[in-house]
Amino acid sequence: MKRITWFMLPLILFLGLAVFLFQGLYSDPKARESTAVAKAFPEFSLPDLMDESIMYDNSVFDGQITLINVWGVWCTTCAIELPYLESLKNQGYRVVGLYYDQDLDPDFGTKTIERVRTEVVSTLSKYGDPYAFNIFDVYRNTSLDLGVTGAPETFLVDQQGVILVHHLGDLNERVWRNKFAPILAEIMPMIDSSDVEASAYIESPKAGSSSVELGAGQ
Amino acid sequence: MKVISLMLIKCGFLLLLATSTSAVFAQDLNTSDALAKVSEAEKMGENYVFENPDDRKTFLKLTAELRCPMCQNQNIAASDAMIAHDMRRKVYQLMLQGSSEKQVIDFMKERYGDFVYYQPPVTPVTIWLWALPILFAFVMMGVFLIRRKAAPEENIEAKLAAANKLLKDD
Repeated sequence: MKRITWFMLPLILFLGLAVFLFQGLYSDPKARESTAVAKAFPEFSLPDLMDESIMYDNSVFDGQITLINVWGVWCTTCAIELPYLESLKNQGYRVVGLYYDQDLDPDFGTKTIERVRTEVVSTLSKYGDPYAFNIFDVYRNTSLDLGVTGAPETFLVDQQGVILVHHLGDLNERVWRNKFAPILAEIMPMIDSSDVEASAYIESPKAGSSSVELGAGQ
Repeated sequence: MKVISLMLIKCGFLLLLATSTSAVFAQDLNTSDALAKVSEAEKMGENYVFENPDDRKTFLKLTAELRCPMCQNQNIAASDAMIAHDMRRKVYQLMLQGSSEKQVIDFMKERYGDFVYYQPPVTPVTIWLWALPILFAFVMMGVFLIRRKAAPEENIEAKLAAANKLLKDD
């Protein structure tokens, strides 16, 4: 009897190791917990991508739920998710771009801001423009503060400027349903009761579109 | 005497084998490897100038010990990813502003999590990285001791029985 346990021991150890390694086969090596979630959006003061005389700071979040989409024209996946982001915009969500460019290195920059703007306009006209406006992260400091590793990444920020979701990679129907929608469903009732203005913003595009329909009907 | 020394060697070997699998050893390897590669950052056209040679050493050490969050197994000194460029620049800026080594590491950890630093913190989960090899060594030592004791007794009984049988047969 004792003999059998001794023979079983290596087998059990082996099986344990096999299960452990098998899990590793299907785990995502890039998946890791974000440190940005449940923290306030980092302080920033950055210009508009299209017009450097307009400056934005954390007050852009006041009273509105915002999706911050980190992107750049050089990033292929970002272009792929543009149509989906546009559909979110059409559902009444507020999408704000946090733009950063690869070649526009603050120290060794070769790409002029005019060229960046031309490229942005042509990309957005080609794939769709979901953005209310684009914040230009010139030195990529805000991206670093956010823990961005590469575009595209999307943050859900509530009306107090607190980050609720940090998603790495492209945003699509499945990600939206699994990662964003449950959180939004959680905070939506709170908005309805406590913050009338914020809910008015979310509701207003829908209300607007329905009134257009009504108008068309008449 | 010979048996004991042999056993000690066995245990020592096991301990070495076990520790070599732990993260501590892996990290040492990684750091020295990275220090050799560190001049690559300078080749990339990034010349970070330090007035104090000690600061330069700290910079090289930090960029070797901070892990690039984008690339799986490169530190920020060896990586050419944009995020690694940005992080090197940030480390330099922070150092010029007078941040200590620990402050720079904490700055990065706050943004990119524990993943960003090659030395893992001791938490209830990671404690096993250190505990498991030592535990394994002790268990194996116990196994060896038990088996050593048990084996001769069995042999003596068997031998005695065999000898008695031979004697009776005679």
